[in-house]
Amino acid sequence: MKFWAIFRFEFTYQVGRPWPWLFVMVLLVLTFLMTRDGSLSEVLYSEFFLNSPFAVAKTTVFGSLIWLVMAAAIAGDAAARDVETRMYPLTYTTPVSRTNYLGGRFLAALALNALILLAVQAGILLGVYLPGVDAELTGPFRPAAFLTAYAIIALPNALAATAIQFSLAARSGRAMAGYFGSFLLIFMGFFVAALLLYHRSVGTLLDPIGVRFIVEDVAHLWTPTEKNWRLLGMEGIVLQNRLFWFSIALVTLAFTYLSFRFAHRTEGIWWWRRKVKRYDNTPVEAGIGARQGAPIFVPAITRTFGLATHARQTAAIAWASFRTVATSWGGISLLVALPLLTIPVVLDQMESRGVPLVPNTIYVISELTGSLSDELSRWVIIPFLIVFFAGELVWRERDAGLGEITDAMPGSEWAPFLGKFLGLGFVLVAFLALQTMAGIIAQVILDYQGFEIALYLKIMFGLQLTEYLLFALLALVVHVLVDHKYIGHLVAIIAFVFIAMASLFGIEHNLLIYGAGPGWSYTEMRGFGPTLAPWLWFKGYWAAWAVLLAVMARLLWVRGKESGLRVRLQLARRRFIGATTWTAAVAAGLILVLGGFIFYNTNVLNEYLTSSEVKERQAEYEQHYGRYAGIPQPQVSATRLHVEIYPVRREVEIRGTYSLVNSTTEAIDSIHIATMPGIETEALAFDRPAARVLADEELHYRIYALKQPLQPGDSIQLDFQVRMKPRGFRENGVDASVAENGTFFTNAWLPAIGYQKSRELILASDRREHHLTQRPLIASLYNVEARKKRAGGKTTFDAVIGTDEGQVAVAPGELRRTWAEGSRRYFRYSTSAPGHEYAFFSAGYAVHETLWKDSTADSARNISIRIFHHPENTAQLESMVQTIQASLDYYTAQFGPYRSSHLTFVERPGNGMGMHAEARRISYAEGFSHWMPKDEPGSLDVPSAIVAHEMAHQWTVPYANVEGAPVMSESIAWYYAMKLFEYDRGPEQFRKLLSWMHEPYRREIRQGEPLLRGLDPYMSYRRGPFALYTMSEYVGEDQVNSALRRLLEKHRQQDAPLATTLDLYRELQAVTPDSLQYLLHDLFEVNTYWELETERATATQTEAGTWQVTLDVQARKLVSDSAGVETEVPMNDWIQIGVFAKGDELKEPLYLQKHRIRSGTQTVKVTVPREPARAGIDPHYLLVDQEAGNNVAELKME
Amino acid sequence: MILEIHNLSKTYPNGVQALKDVTLTIPKGMFGLLGPNGAGKSTLMRILATLQEPDQGSIQLGDIDVIRQKEEVRQTLGYLPQEFGVYPKVSAESLLDYFAILKGITERRARKEVVEALLRQTNLWEVRRQKLGGYSGGMRQRFGVAVALLGNPKLLIVDEPTAGLDPAERVRFLNLLSELGENSVVILSTHIVEDVSELCTNMAIINKGEILLEAQPLQAVAELEGRIWRKLIEKHTLPYLEQEHQVISTKLLSGRTMVHIYSHEAPGHGFELVVPDLEDVYFSTMAGYYSASHHKVVAP
Repeated sequence: MKFWAIFRFEFTYQVGRPWPWLFVMVLLVLTFLMTRDGSLSEVLYSEFFLNSPFAVAKTTVFGSLIWLVMAAAIAGDAAARDVETRMYPLTYTTPVSRTNYLGGRFLAALALNALILLAVQAGILLGVYLPGVDAELTGPFRPAAFLTAYAIIALPNALAATAIQFSLAARSGRAMAGYFGSFLLIFMGFFVAALLLYHRSVGTLLDPIGVRFIVEDVAHLWTPTEKNWRLLGMEGIVLQNRLFWFSIALVTLAFTYLSFRFAHRTEGIWWWRRKVKRYDNTPVEAGIGARQGAPIFVPAITRTFGLATHARQTAAIAWASFRTVATSWGGISLLVALPLLTIPVVLDQMESRGVPLVPNTIYVISELTGSLSDELSRWVIIPFLIVFFAGELVWRERDAGLGEITDAMPGSEWAPFLGKFLGLGFVLVAFLALQTMAGIIAQVILDYQGFEIALYLKIMFGLQLTEYLLFALLALVVHVLVDHKYIGHLVAIIAFVFIAMASLFGIEHNLLIYGAGPGWSYTEMRGFGPTLAPWLWFKGYWAAWAVLLAVMARLLWVRGKESGLRVRLQLARRRFIGATTWTAAVAAGLILVLGGFIFYNTNVLNEYLTSSEVKERQAEYEQHYGRYAGIPQPQVSATRLHVEIYPVRREVEIRGTYSLVNSTTEAIDSIHIATMPGIETEALAFDRPAARVLADEELHYRIYALKQPLQPGDSIQLDFQVRMKPRGFRENGVDASVAENGTFFTNAWLPAIGYQKSRELILASDRREHHLTQRPLIASLYNVEARKKRAGGKTTFDAVIGTDEGQVAVAPGELRRTWAEGSRRYFRYSTSAPGHEYAFFSAGYAVHETLWKDSTADSARNISIRIFHHPENTAQLESMVQTIQASLDYYTAQFGPYRSSHLTFVERPGNGMGMHAEARRISYAEGFSHWMPKDEPGSLDVPSAIVAHEMAHQWTVPYANVEGAPVMSESIAWYYAMKLFEYDRGPEQFRKLLSWMHEPYRREIRQGEPLLRGLDPYMSYRRGPFALYTMSEYVGEDQVNSALRRLLEKHRQQDAPLATTLDLYRELQAVTPDSLQYLLHDLFEVNTYWELETERATATQTEAGTWQVTLDVQARKLVSDSAGVETEVPMNDWIQIGVFAKGDELKEPLYLQKHRIRSGTQTVKVTVPREPARAGIDPHYLLVDQEAGNNVAELKME
Repeated sequence: MILEIHNLSKTYPNGVQALKDVTLTIPKGMFGLLGPNGAGKSTLMRILATLQEPDQGSIQLGDIDVIRQKEEVRQTLGYLPQEFGVYPKVSAESLLDYFAILKGITERRARKEVVEALLRQTNLWEVRRQKLGGYSGGMRQRFGVAVALLGNPKLLIVDEPTAGLDPAERVRFLNLLSELGENSVVILSTHIVEDVSELCTNMAIINKGEILLEAQPLQAVAELEGRIWRKLIEKHTLPYLEQEHQVISTKLLSGRTMVHIYSHEAPGHGFELVVPDLEDVYFSTMAGYYSASHHKVVAP
């Protein structure tokens, strides 16, 4: 009875307050917007129904995240209101039990939170069913989708969060401690879980919000069909996670229940109370005046109230604010816990794909910093803490009951506002200083001494601090203006959500998003390059806004008892005098000047298009010119370029000539040219009479009518001039392609012939919106048209490329000549096969040259290998050269000749780790040079594996751009690399490579098609290479290699059609015996999985001294369709049975033979000569087994 | 310096009219503002302390317009609110030092001197290093006084300061105030008549937002001479008595009820004349028999 009375009172009390309703409103609006937002499907390259279980779950996760950061007041207020309002002596002395009191309050808060979270589902429903939705994106209404999301994600989140918020608030007697509880949970989700992400399941288990298993696991592992139809199930890691947090909630509540006392609360220390206080109520002789009747003497002090006093007041408040924050629990978390945890984070992150990285300063810094707008970064906790601290500071005097005293003190409102801002600023400075130390300590631990202190200072205290300070000021201003703690917190959080996800609200321009601006970048080659200037302009502009906001805060600062808006405005008018007016005027002036300058740069000097305008353009392009897609056009048969790179001015001028040949069978009467947006393309001229009939400068399309049609086989010359000249900066910053050191751009700047299908809209929803017919992401495997060769005949390429005298320029082809002219240096490159896409580089490169002797060719010839690298990055060179030579040896022997006399490697600016192969040339990002493979036998030499893979691309079969294309390029190239490792690096490295490739591919996105039509990274980097490897183990390596060799030979022919996976499949079929054709089918034509398990393994010694091994094995074979539906199929497959001696690992088996294995349980008996230790089925995982690890078992001796 | 309040009115958003057309002149010295709880005392005090805005009226402190020149007022103001808290984790000395800076005492040595003097005056010197969280109610009140006295205020506003003090402390505190009153305007609001009678040279009685009486205590008491009568009665006879006489106050005395009535003539029936005190002034005023406007006795 009492319980219900308490529950009811608490519930109705809070429902009667404004904030629960505000939370509901905010959740409704945000989840509505998130439901309509299509960015996730853009990222995942596939659509899903807005009301599919996956979409509902995704929005529920983000909705409950927002709930978590804004709604801690509900539980906090329920737990701490009695103490905060000092009413507790009345409530604590009523005859109510702890169970009733705490239980009623807690359950009321939980019930209210559970109801508020229903707003998430309501928002999704509104998002799906209110008008304005693409009908194609609405699937059938399934209540289960909403119910499971609510029950599996929202409710357990609410329970865990409410329990923790409630407990902290009850313990501290302060409602705001609830927000600290939210902070702890976010900290778990974004920091701890992210730290442990490498150990995936642990990270997912610890994540209290569900971000990890929805965003990381489900989003990537479910196929598009599954995303539409599959319900989220309470199973596996999800179940464990929910149980884990359920138990945390129970433990927290039990602890609170047991430690709670209906007792007097001594005046509290923030967050907790020390049990013993030395001075507690020390009696002091009462009395005023040292002696009664003695005259009062207070020294007469002259006081001054000038600017100096204001400064002194501000400083005093700043210092007091700093101390308050720094000594609070939140401050200790920020200033002690985070930096300490940062050290292991940095140590953990200084590796890529299992290989350590050189911990140079920029890599370490990138782990220490995060843009405010990256809402999924681990540093999202910083803005959250800033909001929390801002609230605590603004309310500090009033919370302590000192408000009336301080408000009646002299001095303007500037002192408290600026003082608090500076105090918070000092906290952030201290945080960044400690983070810097954490980074340096991590470097020391990793035995690295090249600390770049200046770089630390620049980035941490120049770039990152500015972002934090701008946000801190906003948070303070919001709290001042709103003048209600919970609602202020809510508004500040909404402001953050707006900043981080402005596009959700349809706002994109950085001039409209507080604190936003183009990002900066730093690489060792380029430095900051040209990225800092626009960053500074934008931050200056926002700093001016910040000043104006500060003026507003000063004017509307609540001093005294008057908090009504009307009175505040009246007071504001009276305060708007003197320096404040001037400050406001200067700030407004700066906003106009800087904003105007920025606008001039972004929207006048450069064209600014919103993302929907960009799509509009793309749609128009197709609508206007799509009809020219199939018309006969000549092809480029020769390119001659004169490239002038001016690194300092960041300009490039290219004069060029294309030879165009009509390789079609029809006469061509007009030539269509696509030019590049943002690049000036001039002086287009043909060597025979032609008239420009169309020049669409908006869609970059030109048509030239030839006076005399170009007959089949005939050719024509096109001269052009292309100029890249930076004009100020764009809304998203500057194009850093041309930099003082580290220029890198591609032939996309050059005019292209014909209609460019790649410029069309791809995403289905965009196409529907613009009334375009659907087009597949890529042509069907069975589309014969797409297999036709794009370019007929040979193409040649000849370029002279000039740059500053200190630099080396690199273009496709072999370096023929280099010379100097004045202060410029020129290089001439030429090749007969530049490929379709190629790049130009210029930097202060050092060149590492070496030769490879081709002994396979009839006449032994030398191939020159050049590695253009950043002079300081030399650590990888030797090992690169070794792998390059080994690759050339092995690949030429196995798969066919290397068809050129040169090979070039170029280092390009960028902190990525990737390598990219084009014809005869491989470029790699600076990051690649910072791999530091452990020089120990147990660790895989990943960089060499990647070099081997990229080298293999030089043997890639010319393939058609249809389904299965990535299998043709990536899978085959990885198979080559695996084989190279097997022969060149020995079994140890080979086994390591295999198990490395067995690891789940990060961020894999599964489409669900079989390998023949495979497109996703899982197919191309995992299943594909292993399918080839498995065939080589079953059918024989020579057979598979010769099939690949034949495939290459056939399609390298001049007029051969482009290859597809079907051609690959045919070649493999040709070398596969009938008895194994089923396997080829299982691997390529359908998605087959085997579930193999050794249930029991025993061994007995026979009288002859040999050993008999008996295995009970369980086998199942499943075929999964594109919807992810698995069907069991009967099996009778050849599968290896292996027996291994002790200590041998899996290297040298005592027995390794294929046996026929049926579905179900069966017993296999084999005899081995020596004492065995382990045995199992398919010990080398040749068959795709989703549950690896149970194939091999320890033998039991009998 | 004289504080002049003219036609001050204040109505809260919930409709409560806290001040109705209040006009007062407060000279240098101690001024007592007497009234029951909820009379509008605190509202008036907060308006004087620049913390609240009146709807109408004007306040002049010397040549400072209190409502518009808040900063000037604050520079010469000492304010001790009725209720206040402290930062529990901070020591008295450092918090007083902090407030001294806020009050414009920026010079370090002067500040040290002032802080020490005030802590000694308020007898907190011995415990200056203790955290304020451990202070008793009286100690905290004294700390508040020390804060209010920082910077030698010319206008000192103390709102119900004696509520939390024990009798001895109260006496000493009032002594302290009266000494300050020699140089400044000291306004003391209270609902305890003795506070005013003991030390105020001027006073006003306020009820329901209206000033009922503005007078000098001694003079007001003198004017009541011969009009207050008392009688010790049984409690159950009080209703009859109230019908016949203008009862201004009742008080329990050894289990029986002592009644004071207001009457120009001897009421007889065992009533005896008493020498009036300020309490009688207060109750007569509150009961409406004695009024501010004409300082004259209203005929019944």
